Amino acid sequence: MNMIKALTLLAACAIIAQPAYAQQRSGPLRIEITEGVIEPLPFAVPEFIAENPAAQEFAANIARVVASDLAGTGLFREIPEDAFISRLTDFASPVQYSDWKAINTQALVSGAVSAGSDGRLTVKFRVFDVFAEAQLGDGLQFGGSTSSWRRMAHKVADAVYSRITGEGGYFDSRVVFVAQNGPKDERRSRLAVMDYDGANVQYLTDDSAIVLAPRFSPTGDRVLYTSYESGFPQVFVLDVGTVQRRAMDVAAEAMTFAPRFGPDGRTVVFSLTEGGNSDLYKMDVDGSSAQRLTSAPSIETAPDFSPDGSQIVFESDRSGSQQLYVMGVNGGDATRISSGQGRYSAPVWSPRGDLIAFTKQANGRFHIGVMRIDGSEERLLTASFLDEGPTWSPNGRVIMFTRESQGTSGVQSLYSVDITGRNLRKVTTEGPASDATWSPLLN
Amino acid sequence: MQLQTGTYISGVAHGGLIFWVLVGGLFLRAGDPLPVQTTDVSLLTGEEFAALTAPQPSPIQPVQEPAVVQPDLPQDSPAISAQTDETVETSTPDAVAEPEKDPNPQQPTIVPQQPDEVTETAPDVLAPPVQDIATDLAPPSDAPPKATAAPRIAPTPAPETAPDTEIADTVSPQTAPDQNADSQVADKPATAPQQAAPEIVTEAEKPSAAPPRSLRPPSRPKKPTVALAKPQPAAPKENAINDAVAAVVAETSTATAAAPSGPPLTAGEKDALRVSVSNCWNLGSSSSEALSTTVVVMVDMSREGRPTAIKLQSSDGPSENATRIAFDAARRAVIRCGASGYKLPSDKYSQWQNIEMTFNPERMRIK
Repeated sequence: MNMIKALTLLAACAIIAQPAYAQQRSGPLRIEITEGVIEPLPFAVPEFIAENPAAQEFAANIARVVASDLAGTGLFREIPEDAFISRLTDFASPVQYSDWKAINTQALVSGAVSAGSDGRLTVKFRVFDVFAEAQLGDGLQFGGSTSSWRRMAHKVADAVYSRITGEGGYFDSRVVFVAQNGPKDERRSRLAVMDYDGANVQYLTDDSAIVLAPRFSPTGDRVLYTSYESGFPQVFVLDVGTVQRRAMDVAAEAMTFAPRFGPDGRTVVFSLTEGGNSDLYKMDVDGSSAQRLTSAPSIETAPDFSPDGSQIVFESDRSGSQQLYVMGVNGGDATRISSGQGRYSAPVWSPRGDLIAFTKQANGRFHIGVMRIDGSEERLLTASFLDEGPTWSPNGRVIMFTRESQGTSGVQSLYSVDITGRNLRKVTTEGPASDATWSPLLN
Repeated sequence: MQLQTGTYISGVAHGGLIFWVLVGGLFLRAGDPLPVQTTDVSLLTGEEFAALTAPQPSPIQPVQEPAVVQPDLPQDSPAISAQTDETVETSTPDAVAEPEKDPNPQQPTIVPQQPDEVTETAPDVLAPPVQDIATDLAPPSDAPPKATAAPRIAPTPAPETAPDTEIADTVSPQTAPDQNADSQVADKPATAPQQAAPEIVTEAEKPSAAPPRSLRPPSRPKKPTVALAKPQPAAPKENAINDAVAAVVAETSTATAAAPSGPPLTAGEKDALRVSVSNCWNLGSSSSEALSTTVVVMVDMSREGRPTAIKLQSSDGPSENATRIAFDAARRAVIRCGASGYKLPSDKYSQWQNIEMTFNPERMRIK
């Protein structure tokens, strides 16, 4: 009898305890969010505070360049100044977060500029997460001459970009390209360098000979390019600082083109045509240690190193049409990675090492696309009459390329696009331009 | 008989010929007439021909050359000498020596300057700002950001809105005053969700009519496995029952003290909260590493439904930096959309006083 009573009591206790026990097991309310939105993050860059009268103009200009850099990525949306509720008047005064929340500012950049009597400029800034009411990272300060105000602005923008997105910036960088003039059938070209946004254009060669495909060294101080000044294509090395140049030490009767620096800055890989056959060669930039990498009867060209220097991607028509292949840095068996319909060319390895950008021609149109290094997950980012020659930004987020408009009066221009395929933009240049190559971030 | 036969033949032949001449043209296709070149001619008499061939005077009358009139020379004009002027000395420039050919000619181009040096230091004075006097999280408007030219990628696609349309969760037309109505209701502007697309469409592709993704059917539930307990040595029955009752009572008392009370949130209430937070979870500026990071945050809520504290509970990502970026995005989402309070049932506050939110961006990576 006692046994029955005890069991009944146990059952009753268990029933009473059931909901509470279940609740305790579940603990706090749990929800999982798997869907969000992708849209530009609203930010504000009020005019930087000029700490002395001489810095007034620089303060305004630097703030504009910073805002332009960030908005140009397509990842951010600038809130116009006329929407501001409050102004920043003192770099050290607290931020009125409520004023910035009211206009939906999610990132706020405050800065100050001072100009010394010795011609030195000092720029300092801070970034705030407005809704978290917290500063993103520590404040930072850059110093330089007044003539370098644009570089300092780009550096500020790089730091802001990095703190918000978590990846490196690309604003403090340069682009070497072929500047063109003259009609299409009698076009003249010369090498030029500019800031990534098209400012500060400077010419490296005159227009007496056709020049093609300039490529920066990993440190950005030298440029490899192909010139027709001897009547046939020949690879030259040019020092950007002194404009001194010399031809690569290759047999004079050989045609050399499509050069690329290796990640060590010492090795050069290029294409050499001899007896009607083009193959890939590797040698030191001083002309030593020449090594033939391919020996197929087909045309092998457009080589590029992987960021770790262990592999080379190139284009070849050994299968009957232009396709992309990857091989070891010392040659040997190559693996075809392109598998879609159409012709693939001009492969370029991403600085991150995970993607390869390329030009694709299919169905009468040209595309810029990206694929994994094994050829999977191919994505076409652009489509036009003629898109070609991709180059990666230093952080591997943006691709710049050449687009030519259709017709006899077609003009070549530089464009950039995010690797998602969004934010297609034309790069501002003084005239027609092509064959761009992005430098690494400047030191 | 033979005569008659010949007469018949002749008669039929002649009749056929006459018939052919009369109506044979009907069976022939009329061909195009051959081109005929015609030239107009006219007859001339001998006098007319002689008049035509006679030399005619030129229609242009010669102009009489004007007579050259010598100008009157002034009296003091110098006499003109027949002698030639003296030879003017001319000098030739000094011969320029031929420059020696440069074996390595330099390009006559602009020498570009190296990028200016910029030093990076810690700022002189960068004291953190003093406590912000504004402590209210709520902005004046709890509506999501207004539509921009930039495309928005969201789970639910929405068409482009008219310029005067307000952004809201639901579509509603603009109301106008009704003169015949008994009572006047305040005008309301038209509302519609912000323009959005379900996936990124590049220049090279067209939006697909296919659904953005298909969910894999769930796997068949596994059969519950019953673990066979090892036989334990038998204990005295009385003690075992007492222990069990004591354990259940202790468990009940502990659970009652810590667990929320009242009815749990319905699935609809949970979904509403999930959608609210999703609308503000913006991954547009996140790095690819951050898009591979799942963060779990604990949110403490006020009775008004506003977040009062947000803490990172755990994360699963490739780097610490990616975790920071992912947490920042999650925190912004919770604060922005909860600034005016999430719509949660107040009578179930104990259920949502603490909410554990898991932000998993896996599905967003494929967009």
